[in-house]
Amino acid sequence: MVNVMMKGVIMTLAESGSSFNHYAALGVLLLMAVGFGVANVTLTTFLGPSRKGEVKGTVYESGMNPIGSARRRFNVRFFILAMTFLLFDVEIVFLYPWAVTFPSLGGEAVDGGLDLLFLGRMLFFVLTTIVAFVYAWRKGVFRYD
Amino acid sequence: MPETLTALGLSHYLMTGAVLFVLGLIGFVTRRNLIIMFLCTEMMFQGVALSLVAGAKFHANVTGQTFVIFVLTIAAAEAALALGLVVMMFRRRGTLDVDAWQAMSG
Amino acid sequence: MNVFMDKLALLWPEVAMMLGAVACLLAGLSSRQSLRKATPAVAMLALVVAAVLVRLVPNAQGAYDPGVDPSHFLGLGGMVPFVKMSVLALGLILVMVASGTPEALRQVIAAEAKEGKAFEPGDCFRGEFYAFMLFSLTGVMLCAGASDLVWLFLALELTSLPTYVMAATSRDKPAAQESAVKYFFLGAMSAAVFLYGFALIYTATGLTEFGPIVAYVEQNGVSPMMLTGVVLAVVGICFKIAAVPMHFYTADVYEGAATPVTAFLAFVPKTAGFVSLIGILGLVGWGESHGGTASELPEPLVYLLALIAVLTMTVGNVLGLMQQRIKRVLAYSSIAHSGYMLVGLLVGPEAVHAATGSNTLLSNGLAAVLFYLVAYGLSTVSSFAVVACMSRADGSEVETYDDLAGMRQRHPFLSGVLLVSVISLVGLPPLVGFLGKLYLIGSAYAAASAGSATAWVYPAVVVAMVLNSAISAGYYLRIAAVAFFGTDSGQTVELDLPTRRWGAAIAAGAALLLGGLPGNLLVESSRKAAEPPLPNAVPGATLDRQNADDTPPRETAEAGPASAPH
Repeated sequence: MVNVMMKGVIMTLAESGSSFNHYAALGVLLLMAVGFGVANVTLTTFLGPSRKGEVKGTVYESGMNPIGSARRRFNVRFFILAMTFLLFDVEIVFLYPWAVTFPSLGGEAVDGGLDLLFLGRMLFFVLTTIVAFVYAWRKGVFRYD
Repeated sequence: MPETLTALGLSHYLMTGAVLFVLGLIGFVTRRNLIIMFLCTEMMFQGVALSLVAGAKFHANVTGQTFVIFVLTIAAAEAALALGLVVMMFRRRGTLDVDAWQAMSG
Repeated sequence: MNVFMDKLALLWPEVAMMLGAVACLLAGLSSRQSLRKATPAVAMLALVVAAVLVRLVPNAQGAYDPGVDPSHFLGLGGMVPFVKMSVLALGLILVMVASGTPEALRQVIAAEAKEGKAFEPGDCFRGEFYAFMLFSLTGVMLCAGASDLVWLFLALELTSLPTYVMAATSRDKPAAQESAVKYFFLGAMSAAVFLYGFALIYTATGLTEFGPIVAYVEQNGVSPMMLTGVVLAVVGICFKIAAVPMHFYTADVYEGAATPVTAFLAFVPKTAGFVSLIGILGLVGWGESHGGTASELPEPLVYLLALIAVLTMTVGNVLGLMQQRIKRVLAYSSIAHSGYMLVGLLVGPEAVHAATGSNTLLSNGLAAVLFYLVAYGLSTVSSFAVVACMSRADGSEVETYDDLAGMRQRHPFLSGVLLVSVISLVGLPPLVGFLGKLYLIGSAYAAASAGSATAWVYPAVVVAMVLNSAISAGYYLRIAAVAFFGTDSGQTVELDLPTRRWGAAIAAGAALLLGGLPGNLLVESSRKAAEPPLPNAVPGATLDRQNADDTPPRETAEAGPASAPH
């Protein structure tokens, strides 16, 4: 939806033929970025219910203390968890192109059901991640005691 | 894409990629903080990725884009490894300055 | 599609290695101590199974159609089984040498002390160590099978990434971690450099598969961007082989890591580097052997490689002469050997310099490199393994010449092994190192007599190589002399690790045997390995191609780009 709007804006800008056309896209991007931020803050101020209180006023309602030096040491578990996150993050990167092309693999045009083959491959790929997950589990990455 | 937006040629993208790569290289050689140095290698990788995507667009095939996905994967693996090594070094030495480690020389 | 499935069918050895690595990981985490202790055995089993599979899987040579896929040295060439077999054989020795390394770490000992349910898998990283060895070896095997830039990049990284962790976790001393950080950061930087080279090759041609790129280059010549890409790729890969612009890490890393890991580092990434260099250089040169018209490498590359080769061997040997600590000496020696092997790459396969018409190892640079890789691997692994077999009385590693002094009295067996490996490294007959150097020099000599524009480079390189061998004798023989004629330091004890001892002995024994008559087997197989893939693997096709040099290759060159898949 936003994408379509943006395309429309760019098209109009490009067709207007002014001299800064080349950078029109950048300008639009900047406008949208700033606009999104400002609009959100403004809207929530006006629309949202507002409650006040000591805990409510803090930055993180989860109870983390935001005041003090940011250069504290974190528990090393955070790093390990971050690495595990990275694993799944990268997995998603590979799933996306597959998911986008998957619908065009099946059908009458291709003999022998290419889609099943690719589904099998992707399942094998997911399986490798599951092996990594099991390994991390056994290593105690997800334990908090 | 409208034509006006593609007036930037292949060489512009390649130059940007080269600049990113060289900036990263210079940073890697001159900086002495491990994390900054690692960020510099990441910057070199991004320069490469930009060149690859530009090449893919120029040749109108997707091989370059596929290559970029694999590059990103390797970059992520390296990031995880770098994080582990940096944490380990910091626990041992209490600093991330490379000049602090001169146990071996010669 | 079919190409993909054919390719997959060739990968069973790698699949076996991967499964073996996973098995190692799981065995290392088991709650039963006996199973955990069996981890090195699992790794060795995986290597043996993979070796059997290499023999069983049909050779790639017959599996492709040259009309569709112009031949290239990697991926589809005869090199694949040779590299895989030698990597697996050396890998077996390396696992034998490395067994006992993680078990000596304080953290692992503490974790192993807890019985049964109390065992905490998070504290123990014995399985990871062996699994990473297998992963790294798999990476080298994949490098040999690569037929695509993306594949080659991933294989190179698979080779390198585990070695960083192995270096970091191999010893309790901070030096190990320091060296690993150095190794990793420079490694990441070099990876970015050769990756940029790959990106430029892709941008110049729009292709990542080797065959189509070769065909493209034959039609359109080498563009400046392509050449820049190849140069950057070569410079980046110089890190893996520890050659001159990227050699700074070598001595520190080799010294900091535990000695068995050092032996691993001295052989495995180096093999991966040389195999990839053959692939990358094959994109722009040596064309005649796979059906092109351009024979030699482009002129700038010839000069660049010659310069790197001469500088590498000189730097390695001169600095090696000045070192006092054994592991640093051997580290610089490994740099120097990379310099020697680069000479073989410079010369290229025999078809380029077919002045003599004889198909011997003496005129084939690539075969000489492949032979030398095995020869160097055996000698250097056994010399590092001997150092790893001993320790000082206080448990620290053997470091200086003084520690080795008078070894003959206390450890007669080990000193014999050390003597064999050191003499093989110098390159004296009757050991395998001698044959290796002979073939490298012979190939350069053959190239010099071929009379191309750059032929003057080869005699210069040969002179540098001979002079450097003389310099290197200085420190190698010093090691032998100290061990045999020095006065006993009385400080060293032999570790109780029979597999490590046998690993050293097997490597040295192989170096001794292959220098003699059985060496002909290795000669023969490395010669076959360096042959370009045969069109449809018809017997006698080599002869046909040598006599009539324009029939099949031209068709190949024209058919290639049109049918290049995207």
